[in-house]
Amino acid sequence: MRLTIRHDPIEVGEYIGQYIAKRINDFAPTPERPFVLGLPTGSSPIPTYRTLIRLVKEGKLSFQNVITFNMDEYVGLAEDHPESYHSFMFRELFSKVNIPPENVHILDGNAKDLITECNTYEEKIKAYGGIELFLGGIGEDGHIAFNEPGSSLKSRTRIKTLAYDTILANARFFNNDITAVPHMALTVGVQTVLDSKEVVIVVTGQRKALALSKAIEEGVNHLWTLSALQTHPWALIVADEDATLELRVKTVKYFKSIEKVQEEVEAMQNKLKGLESVKGDVVAAEAASVGIASA
Amino acid sequence: MAPSFNSLVGFTNCLIVQEDGTSLQGDLWVDEASGLIVDAKRAFFQAKQRPGKMVDLGGNILSPGFLDIQINGAYGFDFSVYEGDEAYLQGMKVVAERIVETGVTSLLPTVITQEKSLYPKLLPLLKPFSTLGSATLLGWHAEGPFIEHTKRGAHAPSLLLSASGGYETFQGVYGADNLVDEAGWRLPEGQDVGVRMITAAPEIPGVIDALKVLAQKGIVMSIGHSTASTSVATAAVKHGARLITHLFNAMPQFHHRDPSIVGLLGSSPSLNPAEHIPLVDVTCEMHTPTPGTPIHDASPASPNRNGTLIGKAFQRPFYGIIVDGIHCHPNSVRLAYAAHPEGCILVTDAMKILDPHLEDGVHEWRDGKRFVKEGEKLYLEGTDTLAGSVVTLDKCVRNFSKFTGCSLGEAIRCVTYNPASCLGIESKKGTLRPGAHADLVVLDKEGNVLSTWVRGKQVFNRSVA
Repeated sequence: MRLTIRHDPIEVGEYIGQYIAKRINDFAPTPERPFVLGLPTGSSPIPTYRTLIRLVKEGKLSFQNVITFNMDEYVGLAEDHPESYHSFMFRELFSKVNIPPENVHILDGNAKDLITECNTYEEKIKAYGGIELFLGGIGEDGHIAFNEPGSSLKSRTRIKTLAYDTILANARFFNNDITAVPHMALTVGVQTVLDSKEVVIVVTGQRKALALSKAIEEGVNHLWTLSALQTHPWALIVADEDATLELRVKTVKYFKSIEKVQEEVEAMQNKLKGLESVKGDVVAAEAASVGIASA
Repeated sequence: MAPSFNSLVGFTNCLIVQEDGTSLQGDLWVDEASGLIVDAKRAFFQAKQRPGKMVDLGGNILSPGFLDIQINGAYGFDFSVYEGDEAYLQGMKVVAERIVETGVTSLLPTVITQEKSLYPKLLPLLKPFSTLGSATLLGWHAEGPFIEHTKRGAHAPSLLLSASGGYETFQGVYGADNLVDEAGWRLPEGQDVGVRMITAAPEIPGVIDALKVLAQKGIVMSIGHSTASTSVATAAVKHGARLITHLFNAMPQFHHRDPSIVGLLGSSPSLNPAEHIPLVDVTCEMHTPTPGTPIHDASPASPNRNGTLIGKAFQRPFYGIIVDGIHCHPNSVRLAYAAHPEGCILVTDAMKILDPHLEDGVHEWRDGKRFVKEGEKLYLEGTDTLAGSVVTLDKCVRNFSKFTGCSLGEAIRCVTYNPASCLGIESKKGTLRPGAHADLVVLDKEGNVLSTWVRGKQVFNRSVA
């Protein structure tokens, strides 16, 4: 696992946005071989989405051949409700990038048969050959998607009851009325996330600091579901300085140092290979990064 | 893929004026085929569509098309001059097609006091009208003949009438067919909004009786060309009047002991509590109280189209105000707006010579009379009587923002959402709600019209005009 630390949420968003754009462009997706991207909602990914929107406007990125799967959706909340995750995704990303509507997948929290809805979702992901990159955030209790504390780390897409902490945290979006917050959601499982080829997690703000520490400095534990990421071969966490407040100094210094070494190796590789073969550089840099991260 | 994929047009990179006058960065999707504003989220998730065409507005302002609810004519055509059906329809067409250059996409033609015999000819011609790509003429506004002699302005004194027969007198003048209930007033094919409006002076005998009946028929009743005292004006509002015609003009000046019609903007809640107030207090001030006839119905009236209920909390009326800088001093404009911003409607009250391309000088009017145009001032020749204006509505918006210090968005609200809600058509016009007509105007940050769109199609573009 790699942990990249940037100064503030804006810089985190810029880093991840550029990173995802590079991954998509390197993948060179086509209609036959689209790039399958997993996406979260919440305030953490907004700066990332802004970066992606800007890159699309600048002509440096296209969503034409990108397939998306969202992590979760409330149960029983009208799709039109401003706080539904359909509304969120439309407002923050889909309305502003060139993604064809048929490429977008979000769980239907108003489906007649919720279990079938969840199973079909898993099958759809499989049909596309799995998720290439899953972008995620975490809750203050360390949840990934709506996989609240105690969720099975082998879980798949299913119906979940929201933890009281999560309901309280989300009440601010419902006029601070906790009775208005939906108490259930459909969510991809921890295993669904772990099955993706690559996982990128955005963690910003002091309130997420304890969860980050629990997820990466202690053992794999279902009470902090993000900790399951420790078992993933290609995972990246991008945090801002505030989110590192509960980490040990040693942890922070370690990850900062390997990023520095990685940059040096990348620069050296670029020099050796010459600037023309841009594509080759990227592959080399990636190989280097994976090598160092798993060291 | 859905068949109408290419009929969606998306506007992006713009400041969108909201119904409350705030402006938000955002996108707007419209459907060129249906001519309506689209619920973008639904189009995306349910119909699986996104616009085939995006229009980058370069950071400029996107507003609903403007509504001018008081306009006498333009581009050489006078809505109050009848020279045969064909000429009249041709004139309507010219105005509808050309006015879009001023950002106006809906207007309510005003017919000033006429010979009694002319109304049955004129009003049926003024059914809602538009051609492909033109502004919509919403219906008619009959200003007079039930107005006060001393506040007649440019109306012909010999044609003014009293309404001693109440509603029957109105029927006799305007024609029963033109005053039918809203449900019976048939709209021409292709039109789904229609407006009828009457300006009358409530102190004229019989007017206040008729007013209630007319309001319940869905006719917008406006107080104007009147010397009504505060209590009579208040009674008129309680009976269903919802507008004041060109505030400050053709009415008594503001007097602090009896603020008259202007005073309606300040209507004190202490004098108009939510409970029903018997009208006995005010009948004594009216010219001819009708003995034995209950003027005010104490039973809760059924809500009319405009949602006014007699007996409920007093709602201050809307007011039209001419913001050419001549008919009202900037200070007066600011005073009115500060008192009652939600009721403010900018109107041009423009005469037939309204045409941004027309030069100053003497111009023919009617009945052998002539106008003198000096910039935006317009007089009857040989007098100092103002005879309407020649200001365009987009200029009024810019003036208003300067006069009051309000934002351009707040000024725009006074030519979009406010007039539309006064007329009861705010679900279709003057708004950017999904399902409303895709009538739009694009303005630069100074409020100059850059382009105008009707039913989702561009009908005017400054750079190619």
